Amino acid sequence: MCSEVKSVEGESGNFEVSLVNHPRYIDPVKCTACGECARHCPVTAVNQYNMKMDDRRATYIEYAQAVPLAFAIDTDVCIGCGLCENICLANAIQYDDKERETTIKVGSVVMSVGSRGFDPSGLDYLGYGKYPNVVTSEEFERILSASGPYFGHLMRPLDREEPKSIAWLQCVGSRDINRCGNGYCSSVCCMYAVKESMIAKEHAHGDLDCAIFNMDIRTFGKDYEKYYLRARDKEQVRFVKARVHTITEIAETGDLVLEYADETGVMKKETFNMVVLSIGLQVQPNVAELAKRLDVKLDKYNFVNNKSLAPATTSRPGIYACGVLQGPKDIPGSVTEAGAAACLAGVDLVESRGTEISKVEIPEEIDVIGQDPRLGVFVCNCGINIGGIVDVPAVKDYAATLPYVVYTDENLFTCSQDTQDKIKEKIIEHKLNRVIVASCSPKTHAQMFMETLEACGLNKYLFEMANIRNQNSWIHSKDPEAATKKAKDLVRMAVSRAVTLHPLHEKKIPVVSKALVIGGGVAGMNAALSLADQGFPVVLVEKNEKLGGMANRLTVTIEGEDVKTYLDGLIQRVTSHPQIQVLNQSLIVGFSGFQGNFTTEVLVGPGMYERKINHGVVILATGATEYRPKEFLYEESKNVVTQLELAKRLQEKGALDLNRVVMIQCVGSRNEENPNCSRICCQSAIKNAIHIKKLQPDAQIFILYRDIRTYGSLEDYYTEARKLGVIFVRYESEDPPGVESSEEGVIVTFKDHILDRSLRVSADLLVLSAGMVAEDTEELASIVKLARNSEGYFMEAHVKLRPVDMATEGVFVCGTAHSPSLLGESISQALAAASRATTFLCRPFLTLSAVTARVDTDLCASCLICVRSCPYSVPKINEEGLSEIDIALCHGCGVCAAECPAKAIELNWYEDVQIMSKVDALLEGVM
Amino acid sequence: MIVADKKPIEEIIEEIKGHEKILILGCNECVTVCEAGGKKEVGILASALRMYFLNQGREVKIDEETLERQCDHEYLEEIRDVMDQYDAVVSLACGVGVQFMAEKYHTTPIYPGVNTCFLGATEKRGLWTERCQACGQCILARTGGICPVSRCAKRILNGPCGGSDHGKCEINKEIDCAWQLIIDRLKALNSLDDYEQLSPLKDWSTDRAGGPRKVVREDVQE
Repeated sequence: MCSEVKSVEGESGNFEVSLVNHPRYIDPVKCTACGECARHCPVTAVNQYNMKMDDRRATYIEYAQAVPLAFAIDTDVCIGCGLCENICLANAIQYDDKERETTIKVGSVVMSVGSRGFDPSGLDYLGYGKYPNVVTSEEFERILSASGPYFGHLMRPLDREEPKSIAWLQCVGSRDINRCGNGYCSSVCCMYAVKESMIAKEHAHGDLDCAIFNMDIRTFGKDYEKYYLRARDKEQVRFVKARVHTITEIAETGDLVLEYADETGVMKKETFNMVVLSIGLQVQPNVAELAKRLDVKLDKYNFVNNKSLAPATTSRPGIYACGVLQGPKDIPGSVTEAGAAACLAGVDLVESRGTEISKVEIPEEIDVIGQDPRLGVFVCNCGINIGGIVDVPAVKDYAATLPYVVYTDENLFTCSQDTQDKIKEKIIEHKLNRVIVASCSPKTHAQMFMETLEACGLNKYLFEMANIRNQNSWIHSKDPEAATKKAKDLVRMAVSRAVTLHPLHEKKIPVVSKALVIGGGVAGMNAALSLADQGFPVVLVEKNEKLGGMANRLTVTIEGEDVKTYLDGLIQRVTSHPQIQVLNQSLIVGFSGFQGNFTTEVLVGPGMYERKINHGVVILATGATEYRPKEFLYEESKNVVTQLELAKRLQEKGALDLNRVVMIQCVGSRNEENPNCSRICCQSAIKNAIHIKKLQPDAQIFILYRDIRTYGSLEDYYTEARKLGVIFVRYESEDPPGVESSEEGVIVTFKDHILDRSLRVSADLLVLSAGMVAEDTEELASIVKLARNSEGYFMEAHVKLRPVDMATEGVFVCGTAHSPSLLGESISQALAAASRATTFLCRPFLTLSAVTARVDTDLCASCLICVRSCPYSVPKINEEGLSEIDIALCHGCGVCAAECPAKAIELNWYEDVQIMSKVDALLEGVM
Repeated sequence: MIVADKKPIEEIIEEIKGHEKILILGCNECVTVCEAGGKKEVGILASALRMYFLNQGREVKIDEETLERQCDHEYLEEIRDVMDQYDAVVSLACGVGVQFMAEKYHTTPIYPGVNTCFLGATEKRGLWTERCQACGQCILARTGGICPVSRCAKRILNGPCGGSDHGKCEINKEIDCAWQLIIDRLKALNSLDDYEQLSPLKDWSTDRAGGPRKVVREDVQE
């Protein structure tokens, strides 16, 4: 942490990395993040995290979620007063901290240095830096944040008044080769502008007019279009097709006048209370130097942007890159690519896997059954976080008076290592069989204390925590007496629950270290190969005779890589890999089990004999296919083809016979039946248009579009197509082009907005940019019990943070089975899914939490309410007609226990009596 | 299943407010499944009553118990030992359970804690609908498996009547016309001929019209 890479010597598998470790002046190991140093620091500094809109201290932590959660001193502003050293009870301040250099030996390197928002100060016509009420989108994010400078209140900087109208200006620092040289699209700004407008409306107290000035709205991600439509149609966010050329301030009010030309060329003026500049993404300013030091090549925009069919790689073997450093992308894309980089880095390290893991010896468990409870209560001062408010000695003395408590103590920092050793000693010395820590949040610390119990043979579930910091001293700091009283109440409750606890045992289940990959397209094959290359056996099930899936129909990528060559190589590697067994013409007919232990029944073709496969993980790569248009005379006229058919034709027949070609975008996408954008069709059209222009420069090409969505570096090809003379004409979804058959070909009628009149174009060929349709996985989804969205794409566990995990543990998804994606993106997802799968496969067994639901079958009324209410479909009514919950599948959420009308279900560690005992203890003497 | 609905707590309080020692008695059958009178509902009602009496400054003992069924002697006997501790019982069973309890414990007042509604099915959680009125002479074989006795507002046996409007009943636009359903199903079964058959007058003596009913099965009697 706080380190920079100076150099990377050596080669893949054996790098020596020199690091410069900058001083933090506060020891992150000792620092408990209590924040006392910052509260006493007399020096103010500009808070960069809140985009300079408020202040922080010289001793600071960047934000509450920072990792490591430790303070540092900003020596640029520190006056060296020494206050923090005096106040720090953890003795973490070290003014003499120095810059050091360290060397580490590693096998792979992953670069993920992130991005920085474009600085619009140089674009004078926007008035940024001059007019206070013009802010960047990054600043506006902080304004909307509860931890931001205005605590989440919607206010404009000038007068801290709530704006009644806000304009967003898209493509500031993106898609602009004229003023800033960033020709690429930043991919994320349309979506975040829509999001910001929606949140602003939520935060506003009255009507708020939100207008988003854009060239194209690029909501191309999974289900993003639905969000855009909600903003437009339900929340009345206005989307204006224009690029604002001048912003001027009305001096008296601070309001801003926006000047722009509308689509018909009429000059317009509109006034807003506030303007947000949707600034684009660009690499960190020091990336060029870093790349030079690491000998990694960058593209003209300083992105790594290596080969499209080799995502997450760089020009130097063994060094990988992910996130915006590779090219602009959103959070799911970055998380996925990070998984891909981890996978590639991991494959290089297979030989040394697990060699540096230290093993923890756990003594045999002490049997406490039948013993009277003997409770030990450890009350924490948390420096002065708790001790400064709550009378800790009094709480400790009070605890000693509670039933079954045989030992009490107070600690400066209960979470420190020496206190753990002390707790262990006391557990043994006083034969404690329940431990209570009164300190902070169990969310962050319970696990550690439970491990302390385990380390001296006490079952870890004989532990209880009272949060007397976050829920007490922090919020009642102005009333120490009440805080002390509440701390006692919380301790009494904890003691009361601890008495009711009994040992619980976590089930260890062996993991079958074999993977099942469903679908033998590019994604499935890449996932299979990545796992097989790490030594895990893989069974690859493909329903067709031939591997390759939809890629069999592709010719070249827009970057010019030949898909067939790539695919042939891939198939060759898969079929000859000793660890991969390919079952083609095969069908999944049965599925059972749980993470680490699945059994799948497959009918294997062509004989359709049945096979049972035991495996530890599943990767879904069932893919998608091109939509077969029902519109625009497709299949009626031989002159109407899809983009895939055109690409094939160009490869086979060339384009010399083509004089005029019309392309229609969004066929089978962004309509009522399929509201989503198919993501790939804009680039397909442009790729093919450029191909035609190169073969036949005189051919006239019209692309009729709704929004051109060439995100990231694809924008360069859009620019190139326009330079080559491809004519782009926008149409409205309510007024689609008309198509009729003619003798020479087809006649297409559409409206030109600039001419403001209808045009009739006779073309040799009409090309439909048909969207993507998920493969039919209805049966598979019902057999494996997988959630799909309404368009038939599998639903990941979390859209942003777990983009390749399914909600069922041990099941992963990649490629177009997840959503429409380009070949490179599918490969990235496949590697990420393999990486996630590896985290299961490389373990000999999984330890399941003991916090699961269990059914008292004597009480069960077989009412099905648990079956219906479980969010993970775990409870079943068994052959005896009673509810049964498989603990290997149970997530321990407790919904069934709460809902059961017969009270037949209990959640371990949260049994009714354990919860009620706390309530009873709280209300003791009151009721 | 017998479907019951919760009784407003005010009504229950009104009945029991004079008592000092009350048992709330649930039933682990139908009323558990329709979430009106199982162990969980017993707990919720008992807590609410405790809070009420506490607010009133009164010390009232409220205990909880749930029996497997309240329509069988053996289960009701399970509480005989403790019944003398109570001066009233609120039974969350259906009307059958309440009455059977009352018969068994002749000197203790037994109050109903739910409203017993009908014989029905769970369409989805939280939605139950009527399917049977226990007329004692089942005619479903002739009506495509759809019962005009329970599902037609007029209980007519040769329908529909003139109030059938686009498949809905004239008494409420949300109620399907049972006869429309019957015709649709007979069509699907390819047995519309059955529809042509006139139903003779039904013997309603097995229905409520004949007074309280009983089923005697000598073959299984001990």
